[in-house]
Amino acid sequence: MKLHNNQTAALSKRNKTIGTIIRDMGAWVLILPTLLILYFFVLRPIIVGAWYSLHEMQGFTIKEFVGLENYTRILADTQFPRVLWNTVQYVLWSFIIGFVPPIILAIMMNEMVHLKGWFKFSTYFPCIVPMVAATMLWFYMYLPNESGLLNTLLAHFGIEPFEWLQNDKFTIPLIMITCTWKGSGGSVIIYLASLQGVNQELYEATVIDGAGFLRRIRTIAIPHLSGIILLNAVRQIIGIFQIMAEPMTMTDGGPNGASMSIALWAYKTAFIDFNAATSLSIGVITFFLLVIFTVFYFAVQNKVQTD
Amino acid sequence: MKRFEKKETGFITQVELKQTRGQIIYWVMFAVLIVVSICTFAPPLWILVSGFKDLDEFFLVPPTIIPQSFHPEKLVEVWKKFDYILYYRNTLFVALGSIVSGVVLNGLAGYVLSRLKPKGSKAVFMMILFIMMMPNTIGMVPLYLTICDFPYMHFNMLGTFWPMWLMAAASCFHILMFKSFFDSIPLSYIEAARIDGCSNVGIFFKIVVPLSIPVIMTVAIFIFNNSWGDFLWPYLVLNNKKLYTVSIFLFQNKAGNYSVDVYMVMLTLAIVPPVIVYAFLQKHIMGGMNLGGIKG
Repeated sequence: MKLHNNQTAALSKRNKTIGTIIRDMGAWVLILPTLLILYFFVLRPIIVGAWYSLHEMQGFTIKEFVGLENYTRILADTQFPRVLWNTVQYVLWSFIIGFVPPIILAIMMNEMVHLKGWFKFSTYFPCIVPMVAATMLWFYMYLPNESGLLNTLLAHFGIEPFEWLQNDKFTIPLIMITCTWKGSGGSVIIYLASLQGVNQELYEATVIDGAGFLRRIRTIAIPHLSGIILLNAVRQIIGIFQIMAEPMTMTDGGPNGASMSIALWAYKTAFIDFNAATSLSIGVITFFLLVIFTVFYFAVQNKVQTD
Repeated sequence: MKRFEKKETGFITQVELKQTRGQIIYWVMFAVLIVVSICTFAPPLWILVSGFKDLDEFFLVPPTIIPQSFHPEKLVEVWKKFDYILYYRNTLFVALGSIVSGVVLNGLAGYVLSRLKPKGSKAVFMMILFIMMMPNTIGMVPLYLTICDFPYMHFNMLGTFWPMWLMAAASCFHILMFKSFFDSIPLSYIEAARIDGCSNVGIFFKIVVPLSIPVIMTVAIFIFNNSWGDFLWPYLVLNNKKLYTVSIFLFQNKAGNYSVDVYMVMLTLAIVPPVIVYAFLQKHIMGGMNLGGIKG
């Protein structure tokens, strides 16, 4: 009798496993198309690209295996340090111009009872403008002749037209102003959403302690945001380091290579000079530079979410 | 100042808002925000206004800041002259296809990861998180090769909309948005349907989809905006003038082929559709920002 019981138990257990397997199969079928697309459009290109970068290539066809030759050529290229420094400058300027304002804006918007909806609408508005339209719009604002908006304004004060993007000292910061205009609305909304989670009693408590406005921001609002601020910072480094379409459309890397970023260089090497292998090795080098930040991002994110 | 009593967030307390000092600080911040909101609108507004000036005024020295002439009929002229409807249609085609493939495939993926959780789905989820953050600096050339000559099956997708449509489904961010939304649907609904003998697919379409209209809307709007503004891949893939999207058209004509005021009207035409979508569906975008697991 006891044996019989065991047998049925084992049998139903096996039926159950078969049931789960069938159920699981169904689930896998549903997710399979997405996984295939992710594989062919994201994962495989990275693996294949890394492998191809070890080869000599003619146009886009792969020839013989040459090991690290492409890499040594890139690292010896005099353009490489210059482009790398440009890219670092993009990142630095993006922090100088665009990092603090969203935090301040969010803190101020969080105070508002009047027109709050309007402020949200207007700050996020530039994110809606298509990228090329935005860069072209600023391209025409920065136009070096007299019809550029900024020169129009200068003319009203009797100042001579300025060359804006054509001046190699100003190109990168000016492109970064465009990117900040276009991109910071998203950060404001994220910061604002987080600020709404601040416990109001904390503020009341510091008021009793006699804390002024600035000290309240410093001791309550900023620490509350610190996790997201850090995540945003890492994301900004990773994102801006790969900047490409903005300089491509606004300056095409000019004047005289002053705004050439590493990603734009990789693009031009592949699609203008048809030197795919070199372009891939630039990509792999950038990849390894950025992977450090990605790992750091994951570590921070885990910590922020468990806090 | 009755509205102050509605204030629930922020560092200025109710008591202080009744004092002059608190009110001054409040209104100073208000003024700053007004200035900022004007700054965000100023560049597109300038485009709109100068596009409608007549050409004589456009090149007037000294230039006018407040326009003297206003010719909205230029909008129609440019629309007709450049066959703008073609670019609108192509862009819309890219956007709608991307919405379908992105919503359906990412929605299913999010559902599988959130609810069905087959054996091994945890690993897939980790992989998706990893892919999302991975720097995408290597993929450009191989992806272009993939599009020219698809691995194993050897077909060519250059000059078609398929690459953009398929890439819309490769968005880890949207998968996570769907997943975190599905995570918030009460389990009891799904259990009840399962007891009634509903299949996985049935549950998905009869219970999960109707409940998920908000997240579907949000993702659809995000995809619409992304595709309307997408530049690099359409530029590389759509190599035929008949297939140009609005962004490619703008880029190709940037270098002064036409007079500046005509270009301004072209820019206006490119900005209008997403702005209309934004103006009417703002709520879904704002809500969606906090769905994608970016919150701290």
